Amino acid sequence: MANSNVALRAYRDGLHLIIRPHLSITEVEEAIQEEISRMNQPLGGASVQIDLKGPTLKPEEMAYLKSKLQETYNLKVRGIDTVDEQVPPPIAAAPTTHTLPQRTVPQQPRDTDPSRIIPYTIRSGQIEDFPQGSLVIYGDVNSGGEVRAGGDIVVLGALRGNAHAGLNNRPSAVIIAMELVPVQLQIGSFINRGPMNQKPRGYPEIARVGVEDVIIIEKFVKF
Amino acid sequence: MGKVIVVTSGKGGVGKTTSTANLGTALALLGKTVVVVDADVGLRNLDIVMGLESRIVYTSMDVIEKQCELSKALVKDRRVDGLTLLAASQKNNKDDIQPEQMKTICDKLRSEHDFVLIDSPAGIERGFSNASAGADEAIVVTTPDVSAIRDADRIIGLLQHAGIEPINLVLNRFSPELVGNGSMMDQEDVLDILNIDLIGIVPEDTGVITSTNRGIPLVYEDASPGSQAYMRIARRLTGQRIPIPDLEQKGLLTNIVNWFRNR
Repeated sequence: MANSNVALRAYRDGLHLIIRPHLSITEVEEAIQEEISRMNQPLGGASVQIDLKGPTLKPEEMAYLKSKLQETYNLKVRGIDTVDEQVPPPIAAAPTTHTLPQRTVPQQPRDTDPSRIIPYTIRSGQIEDFPQGSLVIYGDVNSGGEVRAGGDIVVLGALRGNAHAGLNNRPSAVIIAMELVPVQLQIGSFINRGPMNQKPRGYPEIARVGVEDVIIIEKFVKF
Repeated sequence: MGKVIVVTSGKGGVGKTTSTANLGTALALLGKTVVVVDADVGLRNLDIVMGLESRIVYTSMDVIEKQCELSKALVKDRRVDGLTLLAASQKNNKDDIQPEQMKTICDKLRSEHDFVLIDSPAGIERGFSNASAGADEAIVVTTPDVSAIRDADRIIGLLQHAGIEPINLVLNRFSPELVGNGSMMDQEDVLDILNIDLIGIVPEDTGVITSTNRGIPLVYEDASPGSQAYMRIARRLTGQRIPIPDLEQKGLLTNIVNWFRNR
């Protein structure tokens, strides 16, 4: 899965590099390396705005990061923006409902989950519920149908209905479909409407909870 | 031994009754013995569409209450040989009939006719379970719009759960012009979602309205496109292999693009 410590996003005013708080400089470096290698496009010569979410790096680390971005990736830093959201340090307080689990919370490993295979299409009015683990559907989930799983949901067809992954408040769960055109998606406690009047894109997509605590959908390449 | 086929859709107003009347008449015109059964107790319509409302004396309710013999309740259509109607009671409601009682009627009718077509009411409640109780096969009628398709999908799930097989699809009120300019779903989109076999496409035909009001099913007229479509579906029901014509009319731009592509 794509790491969620840093995220490279294209906004209207250009590229933004979003960095989560409370990370060491080595963690940030690794995360940037991973995020950039995940992009299949050359970024050379682009300028980037760094968005810091809360207290993160010391000034000398910041300067080091700027030169590193310039030298290694040929990325010019056009500004640094600190959005101080008053996020409490992970040990001092429990995470609020709207923050991702911190690194101190161990992620449940996927391979210990049981999974259930559904060898047919889920039609309107049918619900497939599997809180014990992940669901794999050899068919479609049609509009009016619903799939709910404690772990991940994989649809080897079109997802046109509702899907709720990570039932037991597990925001690390993902939803993958060959055609992702849902009515509504839920991952853990996060909820999002599907794209309106979206034509199928012709490639598989993955939905997961992104850095900014919203469900994002992107092209599924590999895990 | 005949076949009992339930004609159903989930959503109302997509053409169940029109399809039942026309397919029943078309099968009779092909020389089969047919009975069309109205299962919409309390809201009967099939008799009007068939033009037989003035001749109904007994209904399926009277048969169930043993007021009359089944054969006496069958209204004969005098325009074509071998076509009869079993009307629904208008003064009762759907809960007054049990699925087992419908099944008993269907079993009797099956032994004496080639085809028993059951006009199901809209919805997924008792009316639907009564209509499908005695059915061997199903015809699901839908129009190419998202709400009708979602309801058809629901009905297909219920029919599959009840073990009714095969389930064939009639795509009704299809408009090639609207598909051509991109404002209506085409047949591939519909079949991709519903994933059952298509038995026919009936084009939008304003003749349906006049034929319903006059009580003369469309298939008595040869020329209308709707009539021809229903005749083709009836032939397919008798086991003839007739290809589904490509009704899609491509837009001008698509035609130009294809012309260049094919050179």
